[in-house]
Amino acid sequence: MGKTVLIVDDSNTMRKIVSRALRQAGLDFDQILEAGDGQEALASLADNSVDVVLSDINMPNMNGLEFLKAKSEDPAIMDIPVVMISTETGADIIDEAKSYGAKGAVKKPFTPDLINDTLGPLL
Amino acid sequence: MEKTQHIIEATQEIFSSMIMLEVSPGEPFVRRNEMLTGSISGLVGLAGTTKGMLAIHLTKPAALAVTGAFLGMEVNEIDEDVCDAIGELANMLAGSMKAAIDPKGSGVKLSMPSAIHGQEYAIDCLARAESVTVPFTFNGVSFMVELQIRQDS
Repeated sequence: MGKTVLIVDDSNTMRKIVSRALRQAGLDFDQILEAGDGQEALASLADNSVDVVLSDINMPNMNGLEFLKAKSEDPAIMDIPVVMISTETGADIIDEAKSYGAKGAVKKPFTPDLINDTLGPLL
Repeated sequence: MEKTQHIIEATQEIFSSMIMLEVSPGEPFVRRNEMLTGSISGLVGLAGTTKGMLAIHLTKPAALAVTGAFLGMEVNEIDEDVCDAIGELANMLAGSMKAAIDPKGSGVKLSMPSAIHGQEYAIDCLARAESVTVPFTFNGVSFMVELQIRQDS
């Protein structure tokens, strides 16, 4: 059965770029889902079988850290791995993300190789 | 300004890795609230221990070329996609500057990116801020990256 990834970013442009980077990295997803903020991401996880999440941090409505915290409190989705993909990769922020279960972080700007190195081991 | 070299390196890295465009820096200068014409600007505010603004100002041809390269499609007018792409450019530049200013990441907060455009507009300078603007060119079009910051003790 094919894999599904959920890309969470408020920028439509960045969601397209991440999708393209996943293909360029050779990561073979059958389905690429998108969400514009943490609230939409939680709704998508409730409705779909998702293997891994790539999430921005700085988003309106519900940011990436609030999304991680909410996800970590829901037993139905808490085990789905999340990688942060953001301009915000300071040690304090990444430590907070990891405390809520984030499995890694990719700094924007990124290359397909960096996406592959971070995401590949989780699949 | 010691941040000038970081602006140049961050801009070149973002354009080469995300847009596959090589950009050339010009001579840095201090912009004095001159009107911007036929342009689009992406803006991100900085708050906390360092306050200020990171902006990227692109002429319309440069903005269309950047967005087209970002999205892998031809773009002919400044629309929602262009504003989104230019805002995201500002966001990546601000994130890079924040990493240099505040390596741990908890002392400086970034605003959500925004974009403004029009035939003629001005962006007011932050009072008593350290300011530098670096011009860049690629493929015969131009843009500027501007940083205004004030570090509060």
